[in-house]
Amino acid sequence: MKLSEMRASTHGTVKSLWRDERFLSRITSIGLTEGADFQVVKNDRKMPVLVYVRETLLALNRKDCEKIEVMEVQG
Amino acid sequence: MNCIALLGQPNSGKSTVFNQLTGSRQHVGNWPGKTVEKKDGVYSYKNTKYTLVDLPGSYGLSGNSDEEIITEKFIKGGEADLVCVMVDASQLERSMYMLADFAAMNVPAILILNMMDVATGQGKKINAKLLSERLGIPVLPFTAADGKGYDELKALIEKELKKPHKLITAPDITVKEGYEDSEKMLLDGNEKYIWISKILEGVTKASVTEYKLSRFDKLILKPFWGKVVTIGIILVGFLAAMLIMSPFMGVASMLPKALGAPISNFLTGLHVHPWLVSVFSMLIPNTLYFCISMASFVFGVNVVFGFLEEIGFLARTAYQFDGALSKLGLQGKAVAPILMGMGCTIGGASGTRVMDGWGQKMLAMMVVWAVPCASIWSIIPVISGMFFPAWGTALVCIGIIAYIFVLMFIVSKVFGSKLVPEESRAGMIMELPPYHKAHWKYIIKDSWIKCFDMFKRALRTVTLVSILFWGLSFSPSGNVESSLLYKIGTFIEPVTKFFGMGWRTFVAFISAAFAKEAVLGTLNAVFAGQSNVADVAFNAGTGSVDKMALSAIMTQTISGAEALAFMFACTFSVPCLMALSTTYKESHSLKWTVKTAGFYIIAALVLSCIVYHIALPFLG
Repeated sequence: MKLSEMRASTHGTVKSLWRDERFLSRITSIGLTEGADFQVVKNDRKMPVLVYVRETLLALNRKDCEKIEVMEVQG
Repeated sequence: MNCIALLGQPNSGKSTVFNQLTGSRQHVGNWPGKTVEKKDGVYSYKNTKYTLVDLPGSYGLSGNSDEEIITEKFIKGGEADLVCVMVDASQLERSMYMLADFAAMNVPAILILNMMDVATGQGKKINAKLLSERLGIPVLPFTAADGKGYDELKALIEKELKKPHKLITAPDITVKEGYEDSEKMLLDGNEKYIWISKILEGVTKASVTEYKLSRFDKLILKPFWGKVVTIGIILVGFLAAMLIMSPFMGVASMLPKALGAPISNFLTGLHVHPWLVSVFSMLIPNTLYFCISMASFVFGVNVVFGFLEEIGFLARTAYQFDGALSKLGLQGKAVAPILMGMGCTIGGASGTRVMDGWGQKMLAMMVVWAVPCASIWSIIPVISGMFFPAWGTALVCIGIIAYIFVLMFIVSKVFGSKLVPEESRAGMIMELPPYHKAHWKYIIKDSWIKCFDMFKRALRTVTLVSILFWGLSFSPSGNVESSLLYKIGTFIEPVTKFFGMGWRTFVAFISAAFAKEAVLGTLNAVFAGQSNVADVAFNAGTGSVDKMALSAIMTQTISGAEALAFMFACTFSVPCLMALSTTYKESHSLKWTVKTAGFYIIAALVLSCIVYHIALPFLG
């Protein structure tokens, strides 16, 4: 499933990231790597997704979240 | 001179350290051949001078933007004797990524653990000594914004220059044969975080695994009500900004009167030519008044927005408006400069430095220009009130507000694809920092530096332009009709008429591009002919204008349609001379500054033409 499809207050792991160098470099430098565990804090329609990863609360553009494949895990 | 470089992700507090160390001894220019800003400055410690270079903001060193390439080249070139790597102690794991990228460079370095106050507030403990042993370089716990600890930092830098240390460990990024570039990047990224977790093991403990939004966040991040509250807070912020600047404005407004008569009397007594007397007694005090009031505008807006930024509020605003702004080719971060622009375009234009990359920054500046500043709202109701009833004025205001969005859209369509090409459009990826207390001393100092810089530039530019304007409109008889301005104005009137403006409104339209505050004064001069255009053009005060008399003459002389066209043209033309100058200073591109100004002047004339011809049958 895509990160943008996850519900709020669920936990997940990044399965794969869209293969584009610019995107990868940005997303990696801010803490989202394949295998990283995260928590979806808020996910409202048409709004950026709020993700908590590596002790940082991130706001990610919705379109970018579609480039992130994730797997839900039981927190 | 020893050269120290500052390296860190945006939000690591890099510019705070830079500003605190160098104060006003800064030099801002360009990196050779690039539009990326180069900031360097000087500070001294124990009678030795040090050059400090603020390396362009980037999240890493993977060479994916001009900023990253410049930073990487600078460090690799060995130009810095010491690199201070800054990380955010409250988000240590993630912000260490910059250090992981830097580790391969093999140059002398120290690590600054900034925002220790926030980390401590979160209950985080960091074993700096252990971290230092593992890295092989000194580690300094620090709080950049509170102004303390700088002596310790300077002492450490001095010591390290004599006996430098390099990192003794680096992520295992060996050449990976047979992989695609993006694949390599992915694997390297993982390696870097593995390295970071190894380094941090036992140094600090991750505090929470379950993040809970605070009550305030729950409110402010709501899709609809959050936006309402956000806008409410910003409006309160503008009121606060006005309160902050009113004492400065008050004192400055007394200058023309206080200085004018004594200077005039003194010079007349010396039998100086009346022309020169007028320059010294009217032009100079007025210019001074004008520059001070502009600088205080910049000060007020910066204090308020500096505060909102520092406590973490502006990041939430970016979250709220990311969706709307991405339609313009921008992203959430552009919301702060746009909001600042509602107060003062100058503040808004310099606020665009938060954007990622030059193209986004330039586009954001062009969009900020479309936002009418507070000064416009002080003149539109006055002019509109002369011609239309209250409901008509309300309609005019609504029309102007509606057109803001149209103009923003046009700007993004015309320039968006050039400045931020579709394939390079990056969505917002930003951190929402934890709320924390504001460091007032720093905010005020920083705003003061900006305000003083603005004052100096304003004094230069405005003096030059007002002398020019003054010369054009000087009339020995005191009557407008004997001035050069009148001759030029009436000569080109057939052309300006086409755009809906007679020569009088056209002159006022031109003066609006210098300063919105000048509009009423200019109208008074060209319509009533009571005072010299130049005397009023840069006189920010409108108190001396007899609005009743002006209204009577204006409504007799021009049609409602022309007034309406004029109001629209004025509002959406070049915001003011200093906004233009700031745009140049921030963009470092004369070409794009001229393009922006040209576009706005043409767009304003076209708008005026359209408004005039539509309104003529009704308001003729």
